[in-house]
Amino acid sequence: MKRINKIFDKKWASTVLWILLLVAAWEIGAFVVSITKRSPENILPHLYQIIAAAFSTNKVSSGMTATMVVLTSARATILRALLGFALGTAAGFLLALLMKLSGICEKMLFPYLMLIQLIPVLGLAPIILSITGDINKSRIIIAAILSFYPVATNTLAGFKSVDKDKYDLMYTYAAKKHTIYTKVLIPSAIPYFFTGTKIAAPMAITASILVDTLQGDGGLGCMLSQSLKHAMSIYVFWLIVFFSAFVGIFSSYLMNWIEALVSPEKRGMRKAKKMKGGN
Amino acid sequence: MAQKRKRPKSLYRRMQENAKVQAAATIILPVLLGIIILVLWQTQVLHHWFKTDTFTLPLLGRIKTIFMENIGKIWENVVATMIVALVGLAIGSLLGYGVAILAALFPRAGRGGLSVIGAFASIPVVALAPVMNNWTKDVSNDASTRSMVAKILVVMLIAAANMSLNAYRGLTELKPYAKDLMATYAAKKRTTLLKLQLPNSVPYIFVALKVSVPASIMTAIVSEYFAEYIIGVGRQIRENIVLAQYPTAWAYIATACLLGIVSYVVLMIVQSILLRRYH
Repeated sequence: MKRINKIFDKKWASTVLWILLLVAAWEIGAFVVSITKRSPENILPHLYQIIAAAFSTNKVSSGMTATMVVLTSARATILRALLGFALGTAAGFLLALLMKLSGICEKMLFPYLMLIQLIPVLGLAPIILSITGDINKSRIIIAAILSFYPVATNTLAGFKSVDKDKYDLMYTYAAKKHTIYTKVLIPSAIPYFFTGTKIAAPMAITASILVDTLQGDGGLGCMLSQSLKHAMSIYVFWLIVFFSAFVGIFSSYLMNWIEALVSPEKRGMRKAKKMKGGN
Repeated sequence: MAQKRKRPKSLYRRMQENAKVQAAATIILPVLLGIIILVLWQTQVLHHWFKTDTFTLPLLGRIKTIFMENIGKIWENVVATMIVALVGLAIGSLLGYGVAILAALFPRAGRGGLSVIGAFASIPVVALAPVMNNWTKDVSNDASTRSMVAKILVVMLIAAANMSLNAYRGLTELKPYAKDLMATYAAKKRTTLLKLQLPNSVPYIFVALKVSVPASIMTAIVSEYFAEYIIGVGRQIRENIVLAQYPTAWAYIATACLLGIVSYVVLMIVQSILLRRYH
């Protein structure tokens, strides 16, 4: 028992346990469904069937295997999501900076920043599609709007979290405004900025997939609705479900990783660790 | 020795230091921006910028007329969307809170479970909604009940993930020594939970709700896209755009925005009443 407890002191051990439990639950469900239902693969296929479909060489649509279909459509979707995400984050950061620089701007824009969070932006996807008339543009725009406001609000909160002592110190140094921003404000807002991007990244992907479903022009969402209508093997549907779940989760881990790479504190921590290891 | 005469302060400077002017500016500036946008909309400058016409982006008066004409039908859809959003939010939040309590009681196994649940939060709704539709095929013979259950399940998952992560923080991030104090009282685990951890988690519940109230409305709207039965504000936006009934679609867009804002305001009022003793 003690040994088991020791294993669970590591965080990943219990994560693995839960994942195994989930897999077990899925398989039991799949087993029940496969006995009771006529077309079990529509409701809950066994996981090994899905994996087999990923590696099978059967052509499902226009000479492409299931994995190829998923990957080619994923490229269109994810590239647009990335572009939208990049534009949205940049705009969010700049807006936060602008609002910090100018009190008038902050007063003018802050209520709208709050408001846009309450509006179901994804519901606006169809109208943005008909205004721009171009599916790629609307994918980018919606991904940008969705990733814009978490980044803007969080970064602004970061700018505001700077202690008064730090300002006072900079004033005693007679530091220029530019120096205060580059040395104090922006570095201390970086963790907040990444909190924003961690929320924004999965949203940008969701947005991009959703816009796909609105028009038949390739992309994950489009393939998702086509395979649901049985235009191709239903396993394509399951592959897309798992793939998009994976991409969503991965995107927020990726942000964690980039944060660790960029932010000064964490860089310092890593350096300290390395020196300790060297000695 | 002649002291340097103080230069009179500039008007801008004087306004910045006047509290009354600042308070007024907080209200006047956003309203001003709103009026500018409305004027741009009515004079069709916006249409020119977005390269669109009054058919796709109707003037405000037209949207209002359509809204008034269809108020009965809109209300029907609002009820359908709000039942999904609120029931899903309620069940999901309770479930998430329960999970958080379990995780706080058994931290070894619990932490990993929470990181798995956190991963659920970044799964795109677009991937969840069709799966839930497939799983709820046998719930009822009635398509409207069936789709409603499917939509509620999706909202529930999102709300549960959000609540469990925040509530866990509320249950475990206690004031320093608070737990030690309970230990010196030889308090039972149950007493510590009831007297210390649960009260401590209340503000965190509202942190979770502030995110999950808008998110559950957005999720309800998006899962309507995939539902079998055609009802709900989000589905109406899409259906009306497919039929090129843009003014009607805009009336539903306005409704969706109102839903988001009104439910947030209600949440804020509830919070200010319930959290009064915390301030």
